[in-house]
Amino acid sequence: MTAGMIQVEATLVERRFVGAVQELRLQQPQLAARLTAGQPVLVRTGWGMVPYLRRTFYPIAMAGDSWVVRVPADGDPGHAWLRTVPEGSALDCLGPIGLGFRLPDGTRRVLCLGEGEAAWSLLPLVVEAETLALAVALAVEVITRREGIPAARLPPAVEYRLIPRDGGHGSERLEDAWGDLLPWADVVMAAGSVPFYRRLAEAIRDHRLLVRRGFAQVLYPATFLCGTGACLACVADVAGGRRRVCRRGPVFDLTEVVGMG
Amino acid sequence: MVIELAPRNKRGLSLRSPIMAGSGAVGYGDCWPPGLEPRYFGAIVTAGVTMRPRPGCEPPRVVELPLGFVLATGDHNPGYRRVIAQHADLWRRLDVPVILSLLGAEPGDRAWMAARLEEDDPGPAGIELPVPENANLGEVSAFIAALRQVTTLPLLVKLPSTRAAYLAEACVVAGADALVIGTPPPVVYPTADGTPLEGPLAGPMALPFTLRALRAVAALRLDIPLIAAGGIHSEADVRLCRLWGATAVQIRSLIWTDPTAAGRLVAAFADTVVRSGRV
Repeated sequence: MTAGMIQVEATLVERRFVGAVQELRLQQPQLAARLTAGQPVLVRTGWGMVPYLRRTFYPIAMAGDSWVVRVPADGDPGHAWLRTVPEGSALDCLGPIGLGFRLPDGTRRVLCLGEGEAAWSLLPLVVEAETLALAVALAVEVITRREGIPAARLPPAVEYRLIPRDGGHGSERLEDAWGDLLPWADVVMAAGSVPFYRRLAEAIRDHRLLVRRGFAQVLYPATFLCGTGACLACVADVAGGRRRVCRRGPVFDLTEVVGMG
Repeated sequence: MVIELAPRNKRGLSLRSPIMAGSGAVGYGDCWPPGLEPRYFGAIVTAGVTMRPRPGCEPPRVVELPLGFVLATGDHNPGYRRVIAQHADLWRRLDVPVILSLLGAEPGDRAWMAARLEEDDPGPAGIELPVPENANLGEVSAFIAALRQVTTLPLLVKLPSTRAAYLAEACVVAGADALVIGTPPPVVYPTADGTPLEGPLAGPMALPFTLRALRAVAALRLDIPLIAAGGIHSEADVRLCRLWGATAVQIRSLIWTDPTAAGRLVAAFADTVVRSGRV
């Protein structure tokens, strides 16, 4: 059996409307206890076999016996079902999948870098690091400020920078921000696209000379079918070849995704 | 009573349950979802193996359909030598017969691998041979006969469901021990970014194709065990397949999407066998 993974029925205990997005709190103590930041949960999103495949959710909050997922306001039929399912419903969940973020021993300063919606998956890590009394900075690149994480959702001690991708009048660019932050950080945790990770690697080379293994962990943007490695649906081209994200990731060392040097 | 899938083969292939884990459902026997154990199954069929490693196709590899999905892996596998090196010891420890699925890009690849398996004792309990969708009668006969010459292991020939009845008799004559009915038809559907993804149909949507092929092959009365595969998701599906001529069935998508339901299904038939004293 894949280590740690369980299939359980979680109870939908709370629904929050955040703009067009919904945030659902799912309660199930055994699964909640196994989750770490960056590990997804696969949720069945229908009463029968339609939709047939589970949807992949990266929790944005974890607390005791529950976790929170964001359901985007898109045209996906599984997401549409989740937006209407009554509170109190039992949702079939499979997880946690793969390996999450790991704060290395001796870390004091954690830099979290996010791109757009993916940045939300860093929130449990931000909270965990702050709880451990580590210094935490979060920088998020967004298309518009409206899609960013509201500062009120973050622990007060976190340094937060919300950076529009196109800069804009007087706005900081992400390349400017990590010029300050990368030399400061002991470790980087990132969530975004592969092109975002390539930019990150470039910046690390600019500011720290080389991309050292162990300095940056990145969440690979994958969706999953089985979560055990059997179906071979979630592959990524990483160091060593084409690998299953659910077995080797979804959190990889940056050097595995973009190469060394 | 044990279910015998290779009654004419001197090695035989005995199953204690009619439910098999289909090709790649549990990887190479190393990918078990929660709640499922090898001993629940009659046998497991590994993911396909080619002589040399294949990187398979680039992602995205899966697209959802109503009641199913298309999965195109491009025969992604680490190659015969690595599979044997990494998993043969595990197969010996698993409490279930392991059937190795052999894929071949070139004529002779599968015979080469089968010949080596013959020397590996105790190795897999049998070999599954998927027949390509576009293979002709002569090619199918020739490659099964070639394998029959180099191995005494039971040969389970997996036929494309759209052409199963056409190819079945030739497979039996060439030396197949059992027929797997079958590989669902290939379909194409766009992924989220519009890229056409082509691959075999998977999920419950595949069941009608399986049933049609099963009935057609069963009507040929070939006196060989038939194994139904494709879209089987419930006790009712299993019973229907057995009623229409299947000795055993393979499940795969259910194991991937709902391991608990798969566990209930295998338990239902394990109970039947045990209660009737047929183990």
